[in-house]
Amino acid sequence: MKNIKSAVNAGNESLKTRLEGMGGSFSYDETAYHLPVTFALTGNAVNTADEAQKAFAAAGQNPLVAAECLVAQQAAATGKEPAPYTGFIPDAVLRTLGYSLVDGSILGLMLVAGTPPNPDTAAGLCRELQEKYMLTFLSGDIIRSLGSAGVKVGAEYRLVPLGSRPLSAIHFIDILARVAMMFGGVTPGDAGRLLAYAKERAKAVVIVFPGLDDEEIAVIDSFRLLGIPVLAAGDYQGDEWTRVQPGDAVRTGMELRGIKVTVTAIPIPMACSPAFEGKSIRKEEMFVEFGGGRSPAFELLRVRPAAEVEDGRVRVIGPEIDGISEGSAVPLGIIIEVAGTQMKKEYEPVLERRIHNFVNYGEGSWHVAQRDLIWIRLSREAVAKGVKIRDLGTLLAAKFRMDFPDLLDAVQVTLVTDEATVRAKREKAEAVYRERDDRIRGMRDTDVDLFYSCTLCQTFAPNHVCIITPERPALCGAISWLDGKIAYEIAPSGANQPVEKGKIIDMDRGEFEGVNRFVKKASHGEIDRCSLYSIMEYPMTCCGCFECIAVMLPEVNGFMVVNREYKGETPSGMSFSTLAGTIGGGAQTPGFAGISKGYILSDRFLQAEGGIERLVWMPAILKEELKERLLAVLKAKQRASLFDKIGDETTAETIEDLATFLAAADHPALAMKPLF
Amino acid sequence: MGISTLSEWTGQIHELVIGAGRGEGGTRSHSVRVGGERDLPYIGTPPSGHMPLVAYEIADDPALWPAAATRAVGDIADDTGAWAAYAEKECRPDLVRLSLTSTRRRGFSELSGIQQTVEAVLQATGLPLIIEGSNDPGIDSEVFLKIGEAAEGERVLLGIAEAGRYRSVAAAAMAYGHAVIAQSPIDINLAKQLNILLREIGLPPDRIAIDPYTGALGYGFEYSYSVMERIRTAALKGDTDLAMPMICSAPDSLTVKEVREAEGADADRIAVAWEYHTLLPATFAGAAIVSVRHPATVPLLKRAIASFWGGTGSGGA
Repeated sequence: MKNIKSAVNAGNESLKTRLEGMGGSFSYDETAYHLPVTFALTGNAVNTADEAQKAFAAAGQNPLVAAECLVAQQAAATGKEPAPYTGFIPDAVLRTLGYSLVDGSILGLMLVAGTPPNPDTAAGLCRELQEKYMLTFLSGDIIRSLGSAGVKVGAEYRLVPLGSRPLSAIHFIDILARVAMMFGGVTPGDAGRLLAYAKERAKAVVIVFPGLDDEEIAVIDSFRLLGIPVLAAGDYQGDEWTRVQPGDAVRTGMELRGIKVTVTAIPIPMACSPAFEGKSIRKEEMFVEFGGGRSPAFELLRVRPAAEVEDGRVRVIGPEIDGISEGSAVPLGIIIEVAGTQMKKEYEPVLERRIHNFVNYGEGSWHVAQRDLIWIRLSREAVAKGVKIRDLGTLLAAKFRMDFPDLLDAVQVTLVTDEATVRAKREKAEAVYRERDDRIRGMRDTDVDLFYSCTLCQTFAPNHVCIITPERPALCGAISWLDGKIAYEIAPSGANQPVEKGKIIDMDRGEFEGVNRFVKKASHGEIDRCSLYSIMEYPMTCCGCFECIAVMLPEVNGFMVVNREYKGETPSGMSFSTLAGTIGGGAQTPGFAGISKGYILSDRFLQAEGGIERLVWMPAILKEELKERLLAVLKAKQRASLFDKIGDETTAETIEDLATFLAAADHPALAMKPLF
Repeated sequence: MGISTLSEWTGQIHELVIGAGRGEGGTRSHSVRVGGERDLPYIGTPPSGHMPLVAYEIADDPALWPAAATRAVGDIADDTGAWAAYAEKECRPDLVRLSLTSTRRRGFSELSGIQQTVEAVLQATGLPLIIEGSNDPGIDSEVFLKIGEAAEGERVLLGIAEAGRYRSVAAAAMAYGHAVIAQSPIDINLAKQLNILLREIGLPPDRIAIDPYTGALGYGFEYSYSVMERIRTAALKGDTDLAMPMICSAPDSLTVKEVREAEGADADRIAVAWEYHTLLPATFAGAAIVSVRHPATVPLLKRAIASFWGGTGSGGA
């Protein structure tokens, strides 16, 4: 039983002593990187013992530098070890290895060192590594062990025998260093970049069997500084290395570095690609629809403990497509459960919003809106080709795994088409939505310097840019400022980017220099100015996903808000869908704005036009839905009486009725400054 | 053409260098530069950026090449090296584009043949090269490794990366110092997506040429034209993920019905006209490199481009 800590100390001492006693000159052949580890860490080209000692000091007595110099000197003095041992691998071979890493034909780099308990253990481990597309380097007795088990070694078998002694493991690091310099743009001497590259890009793991001496333990232990986990499948004492059973070593190692054998094809009878994302399915082309106000529907994504999620499992509760008559509207609940070590609860809404894209990727499936407002259609053509409701689940499970390979380890999907169950589960989902909305409440726009953008809908509305602030959620209501921040964390080049607020141009209208600059660029030059708190001047553009539409009503000097669920006419003379068709598509339409429900409750709502007191009409269902929260907001402003002065379809169907109603109720908007 | 700039663009197209001379680790007689534009094509006196270039395409397996193209060169087509030498001497294009059509044969396994072909072409011509490899994901990895290796240091433009299969091409470019053609099926969003994928794998943006996929005249060219215009204006408006020079070849131009069925003296005339009238407009939409397969199209296109440009080019180095 070796104690790691004391072995490291003894090993470092011994390496230092040997290095100091070293003499002569030495170098590797067929490389432009000198002694690569030393060169990458210090920028020094080492050819003599003297230079080696200087580099060792320059690298802060790094044991990797000592080991490299000693191994190189040994090879120069006594010649390379005979075949099958490779010793130092020339640049040309390495370039091919690096090629395979970038190319994806190998997924990661593994080093196995030491003496395995028996040949079968060694053979089993290496077979598993081959099956998992890992490129494995071997050093020490493991090589002989494999030989006696009849396992062939060599680069062509993705099992590279470095040397008979475990100290040859240093070649693993010289390979990593050269890959970083060749492919990662790491410049020699820039140790910081090298460490970052090794940690973030190089997917490397070490598995150690018993039989290492102190020097070898010191060298392998220092691999951890490069972010390489060391798994001990043998008698090593101490918490520095992760203890594993040989049978679990590969899985554990791959998990630690987030290496995953990826899904490539989705087994459904429907093409699936971003190319179909912008294609809509019209009523005449549709076989069945879900939600959209015609049937109850919702979507919800939750994180669960790994034990509760079986990757790829898809369940349909309720009738399948063959039990549904053509042209009907069917209830649907999409419940996605995910597990992953990196996955956080805060990520849920961001991932949930991706359901929108993924369903639209299907050639014959179409999706709009979010949460409990979703509207999904399956085309007649797709159903004729054999597409079932279950296939939506298969598509979603696969796409989530493909697009978030680092975040998610397992995804299971439940699709509910049974009406009673959908209604019951929707109620629970709504509690989750509320909980999410509560998290952001209380944050102010003035508290932050960064807003977040959302250009997720540019496939439909190419010039639309949402600017999300703490007090103004995305117009779809599904992404808050926090969600934007998290989405940017998960995917730094994704659709949610940080937007520098910059200098204030007009605080009342919420116009900022930085926001204008961003919007100009992200709208491809179409939109020059954007006010975040005004609907009259330079309002934000609209895609098509807005929860509600706010419309100026000049006759009554105020604004009405109509929500997507409300199917009737409004005092503006237009229904929601007519209005939506007028303002969507990425246009800026003064007097009209697509907004989220949450924004109505914000202090910034209609700020430039005089605030909530301008609100003169909402459909009764929306009033009911917001009642509790809106009353709280109004009370805080000492305006509780305003709630009953807001008209709805029961009190005012037309603009004339509304004018009469507002006059009778003495609505404050009537006495406010004219909108024009 | 003397038209002054009409818009205040903020973006600029990346400059892409193809070919490396002896001083830079290659064996080309010179290198060429494309891109660098700050305005729409041919606008300004002189126009911004570099003049569009013309590439002449040859193939290592002429049986898989349009008849109109091989007929025009005769037996030379059977010897890829000789064909490359002929290209430089007789057609005088700015670049030679080698299409490794042999890899399209069912059951292809002649990897060493690829290496010999690439080496022979490098020997036969000093012009900068474009090399197009396999289009089968099953053999991509090996094919692009071979091409990349065989042309190491020559800074060739390697094709073709697509959304589903870009890793091997990109890996070969990164390992051996080449550039990549990123092809998307006439769709600005997919073009952008692919460029982002290439960026994330580590390929610098100045080593990418966008191939928007070019339909032949009368067979969908107008779609390509419109997407190219959108790519170019998006880039000029500051979208750096689309700010790469575009390359167009109209692979179907010599196999459209009108060209296939033309007979006698008309056959060559129609073949050349079809390529010319597809690819000259492509430069109006923003193509930085156009490649053709009929030798007689090369001088016509070069002359026309130069005259629109204003007589002086800056394409060569």
